[in-house]
Amino acid sequence: MKRRDFLTGLAIGTLFLNQSPWLKSQGSSLADIAWVEGDDPAAITKKAIELLGGMKRFISRGERVIIKPNIGWDRTPELAACTNPEVVRALVEMCFEAGAKEVIVTDNSTNAPQRCFPRSGIEAAAKAAGAKVLLPNPYRLKKTAIKGVWLKEWEVFTDFLEADKIINVPIAKHHSLSRLTLGMKNWLGALGGPRNQLHQRLDEAMVDLAAFFRPVLTVMDAYRILLRNGPQGGRLSDVKLQKMVVAGIDPVAVDSLTTTFFDLKPEDLAYLPMAKERGLGEINFERLRLEKRKI
Amino acid sequence: MRSTSRGSALKKEKSKKYRFFQISRILSQILFFSLFLYLLFFTRFTGEDTIGRVEIFFHFDPLLGLTTAIASRTIYSAFWLSLITLGLTFLFGRVFCGWVCPLGSVHQFFSFLFKKSRLLKPKKLGQRGLSLKYFILLLVLITALLAVDLVGYLDPFSFLYRSFIAAILPWLAQINHILLSFVYQIKLLRLGDYWNQFLASLALNPIFQQGFFLGLLFLLALCLNLFRERFWCRLLCPLGALLALIGRWNFLGLKIKTDKCIDCHLCSLQCETQANPYPQEQWNRSECVYCFTCGSICPTAAIDFNFRLKSQSAPAINLSRRHLVFTSLLAIISTPFFKITPAKRRSSPRLIRPPGSLPEPQFLQKCIKCGECMKVCPTNGLQPALSEAGPEGIWTPIFNFKIGYCEYYCSLCSQVCPTGAIKELTIEEKINVRLGTAWVDKSRCLPYVLGSPCIVCEEHCPTSPKAIKLVRTETKRPDGSILTPLAPIIDLDQCIGCGICENKCPVVDQPAIFVTSVGESRSATNRFLLELLHKSSGE
Repeated sequence: MKRRDFLTGLAIGTLFLNQSPWLKSQGSSLADIAWVEGDDPAAITKKAIELLGGMKRFISRGERVIIKPNIGWDRTPELAACTNPEVVRALVEMCFEAGAKEVIVTDNSTNAPQRCFPRSGIEAAAKAAGAKVLLPNPYRLKKTAIKGVWLKEWEVFTDFLEADKIINVPIAKHHSLSRLTLGMKNWLGALGGPRNQLHQRLDEAMVDLAAFFRPVLTVMDAYRILLRNGPQGGRLSDVKLQKMVVAGIDPVAVDSLTTTFFDLKPEDLAYLPMAKERGLGEINFERLRLEKRKI
Repeated sequence: MRSTSRGSALKKEKSKKYRFFQISRILSQILFFSLFLYLLFFTRFTGEDTIGRVEIFFHFDPLLGLTTAIASRTIYSAFWLSLITLGLTFLFGRVFCGWVCPLGSVHQFFSFLFKKSRLLKPKKLGQRGLSLKYFILLLVLITALLAVDLVGYLDPFSFLYRSFIAAILPWLAQINHILLSFVYQIKLLRLGDYWNQFLASLALNPIFQQGFFLGLLFLLALCLNLFRERFWCRLLCPLGALLALIGRWNFLGLKIKTDKCIDCHLCSLQCETQANPYPQEQWNRSECVYCFTCGSICPTAAIDFNFRLKSQSAPAINLSRRHLVFTSLLAIISTPFFKITPAKRRSSPRLIRPPGSLPEPQFLQKCIKCGECMKVCPTNGLQPALSEAGPEGIWTPIFNFKIGYCEYYCSLCSQVCPTGAIKELTIEEKINVRLGTAWVDKSRCLPYVLGSPCIVCEEHCPTSPKAIKLVRTETKRPDGSILTPLAPIIDLDQCIGCGICENKCPVVDQPAIFVTSVGESRSATNRFLLELLHKSSGE
């Protein structure tokens, strides 16, 4: 290698590293994880992202962004089975403000998607903000190497593989097998195939999937949380108005922090320590720079 | 032109007026057929809990109103619209058949194609075969009197909707699937995405048991047009027969100007039905559908229709007393055969009706097998029955939970039923309706067999609190070791029999959890717990 090439490479590499969110946060005063409470789901979402340094920290001009909310169930927002539509709307708006070329919102619903998308309110909210809302498209499924410890390959919607950036927007809910369904469980909605067989080793599957899908940002909708009868609830009495949004760059930390809303510890969920062991993130979220606000 | 007399050189000039009427009639057929398609495509979930009257076409059908009223001994008020059809027919004859009926238009279109391609050569047939439809009508009415509703099998609306819903639309979905696979194979991704999203928004239900067979029947009905133009309308249609009877004395008469007529017989040959415009005395006003083909094609514009308040009767229908007696006896004798079914003795476990369905006997008396409920079902779970409901219940809707399940917050099927066989329910009413009861097959269920966790059924159970509880259960593994996984146990009080557990069970071929009809709210006898009976009667 010529010296000139080496120097050019070094310069490009430095420039590139300089742009990466992880390094950007090192040595700056930006938060790693933000936790905002307030009455307006859109406002607390925006505040949380602002505390992390704004959407520009994650999204660059001209990028194609995919936002993955939970649109799994034929339930209206007040039943807290799907992500709050206002949270999704706020994120779409911020992505466009940061210069995103295209924002896709999609999920592989469990109930009939033609019902889940409109009834969750997400279709209308995301479309109003200018996003492309895609019903799950079976022709875009591709057998993909997950390269996990347990999950070697599975069918994944290629939208997730082709996007420049992925934002995970789960909702915090009770789940009888994994105890809570949070951000890592949300990746099942990016898959096709016989997903119901993943439940036989759900914790392992979730960790493998979290290692495969690396979101640039995880935004936990805890505006309404589902305390029991998860993951779809069905009664208002199953729902607690928590009025919070947690956003962070470390997906494990966001999930870990959210466990506290259910009076649990991260260690109570088998998959969070597993994820930490795999080096996917921190369960001791207090070690990270945490910003907490109430608006 | 008007002054041409028979003596002078005949001026060959077709009537512009009747050409205009003919084109108007064709436009009207296109309009009503488009309306049929529009309403059919909008028979789906469009974001609202309530759906408009997409089934309104059925309510213009007096035969459906009449037979379901006779068979069920109740009057369904929505059918008041059929009085409009009756009134029109009384005044103008079978204009409904010629200008409105979408199945008639389909037959007309294929007759036209067959004639153009010379596969069908028009013949003069006189009255031959015309009486068959009256016997079919008689059969339907007498069986209805004996409380067996057979009208759905040959009523034009039921036949058309059922064929489209269970065969044509799934066929369309399959074609789209083939084309889309190709589009994605050659990497036209943008086109494919756009196409796929549009197709998904239509929510076509692509799978129907018996879809192939129902499609063949439809094809057969179309092929009948190879033998006679509008074969169905002339010979088979019981609604056509009813309207022919009502319109026997209608006021819209045909007049052939004898001074112009050149006795070419073209009108009788090209007549869409067998109304025989020529000679005028043999014109049959109860067969005429007022398509105005004769008026339009007459080379000398000799044919005229006019409305006169002096009613004239159609020629007597050739129904011999012997045939009438024979048909009546056939109806009376055959009705009991429909009752030879074990479903009468004991409820069939797989006979799971849509939510809001009337108790089985009343349901069968009202269901016209049109398939509207199957079209609107968001999961494709409603399917035409074959043997589950006995011989009167062929093609009535039942759930096949392996294909789809009953969506918890959906009551659309109850809203689109044209006859009230499924009682209209609000969402609040619907979520309290019990379709049946779920049972766990512990010999197949993974936690019980392997000791491994699964919980998929519990996760999907839509009630709150859940009807499937997870309880630690001892499982002996093949090596003799004992595990205590969480295993599903049904809370019989909570289960509504929606079937999502069966649908989502990972043991795909024969699910380890399944729903049978026992405990269904609509039945007072298909029960297993006295408390459930008290519970539902107390509500």
